[in-house]
Amino acid sequence: MNLSRGQRAKIADLIPNGQRFTLGVSIDAPGLILDFACFGLDAGGRLADERYMTFFNQPTSPCGGVALSVPAGDRAGFAVDLGRLPTSIERLTVTVAIDGAGTMSRIGRGHVRFMDGTSEAGCFEFSGADFAEERALMLLEIYRKDGVWRTCALGQGFNGGLAALVAHFGGTVATETQAAPPPPAPPKLQPSPVNLSKITLEKRGNSVSLQKQFNAAHGEILINLKWRSVSGAKKGFLSGLMGNNRTDLDVGCLYELANGDKSAVQALGNTFGDYYRAPYIALDADDRTGSSAGGENLRINGEHWDQIKRVLVYAFIYEGAPNWAEAEALITLKTPGQPEIEVRLDSHRNDRPMCAIALLENQGGAVKITKLVDYHRGHLDMDQAHHWGLDWVRGSKD
Amino acid sequence: MAISLNKGGNVNLSKEAPNLENVLVGLGWDARATDGQDFDLDASLFMVKDDGKVPSDAYFIFYNQPKSPEGAIEHTGDNRTGAGEGDDESVHVTLSKVPAEVQRLVIVVTIHDADARRQNFGQVSNAFVRIVNRDNNQEVVRFDLSEDYSTETAMIFGEIYRHSGDWKFRAVGQGYSGGLRALALQHGVNV
Repeated sequence: MNLSRGQRAKIADLIPNGQRFTLGVSIDAPGLILDFACFGLDAGGRLADERYMTFFNQPTSPCGGVALSVPAGDRAGFAVDLGRLPTSIERLTVTVAIDGAGTMSRIGRGHVRFMDGTSEAGCFEFSGADFAEERALMLLEIYRKDGVWRTCALGQGFNGGLAALVAHFGGTVATETQAAPPPPAPPKLQPSPVNLSKITLEKRGNSVSLQKQFNAAHGEILINLKWRSVSGAKKGFLSGLMGNNRTDLDVGCLYELANGDKSAVQALGNTFGDYYRAPYIALDADDRTGSSAGGENLRINGEHWDQIKRVLVYAFIYEGAPNWAEAEALITLKTPGQPEIEVRLDSHRNDRPMCAIALLENQGGAVKITKLVDYHRGHLDMDQAHHWGLDWVRGSKD
Repeated sequence: MAISLNKGGNVNLSKEAPNLENVLVGLGWDARATDGQDFDLDASLFMVKDDGKVPSDAYFIFYNQPKSPEGAIEHTGDNRTGAGEGDDESVHVTLSKVPAEVQRLVIVVTIHDADARRQNFGQVSNAFVRIVNRDNNQEVVRFDLSEDYSTETAMIFGEIYRHSGDWKFRAVGQGYSGGLRALALQHGVNV
């Protein structure tokens, strides 16, 4: 059954069991970054419970009635079991939003389809000609009317993008991924001369020393990780509905303080550190998709560098198949008054999700940075290779 | 308590509201919440004979001809956006003034410029038609069309018709393609 824009149908007329099906979404949109989501709304069309926004950061609704699942050949999708939805959920709306520049008039062909097992039971096709300046669309909704589940092909949207869409559902958008902890207020950087030069450490083992400037403290040492999703495009707020394509790359560090204390700062295990107290190292965000424009930042409080003996900075793939080549991870190390240092993770061991990137050592008060880029099977291997000596257990962010 | 009809249902207005004379036909829909061109919906009314045709073009009441010759029907005005609470457009009917040859008052709503705007009734939400007794402001009957939308651009919402000396109302909810022009032609209007 083909659904045209505005058309309604009973779910039972599309899906014989009337309860379980998968929605597949595809949009041909070269150059656009699209984020897909499924909103579970109450009778008033409101997202009364944010846990019913199903997207990469929340792959399953609490009841299990909506879960990320991409049918073969589609770009995004949701497995739906209407029988598991609580009575408070009256409406499921499948949405798409553009992250970054562009409008929906630029998309090519697209569809939302009902999959009954592996066969297509209904399809709503649309194209960029249906839209103008919209940056977020409600594609299709499934709603309960007098106890009967129905669907309507919507194909309507908002010029204001995701924020307008979420506002329509009575919610607000955080500026960063919702699962990330609120970042602590970053310390103000001392104004320093603009320095456009960058030092890129190409060969492993290269090192530079950031000489201590007079007696001044080092200020903030900022270690930034940026990476790209496997599709090659920088991914956005709602991206990552790509099933097993989902990749979560994290930055973290092992540290050893002058007093002998040793541990790690990383999102896994929620050990985000502390900037103002030991270990004087803090992770300010957990970018689980590569969406955050600023990436993930690990900050070392240079005012207390004298209490830090060494720091091993690493990146690891928390989720998703290790593919460093496509992740294109880039570590940037910034210290006020010093040139930026870039380390590109350009040598790949795709069977190993852990990469020790650089070692920062306290050499008589100076910061000595050595590029490593050695790949490991996990924390324990890396720890042993660098003689850190921590006890490691499996952790989860969830 | 007003009667709520489903598609195809009918109610005897003369029995539900004895001595009903001054009627308000209220029509409503929600303005679009999304961006894009407004949905400009127009209410019209055809006063038709037994054969389903108007006696003359003067009995086609719409935005450019808001009043019938004998004054039985009066269109209260064109709402261009559907914004606001309650009825978006309404038509006043004075039942005793309806000419004897007119058997039915066919209430239609059409989407203005629907094809150019790529719009249809499926994109309109919360459409309804209601019959109100203007003498006491009581709603007599209501028909919520929200599940009878179609992808067409014109809809007969309902009709008020004579039956054995009484006036009745039927919930029609039938969609047509071709907009107001097609409906006008069907009801014998020369357009």
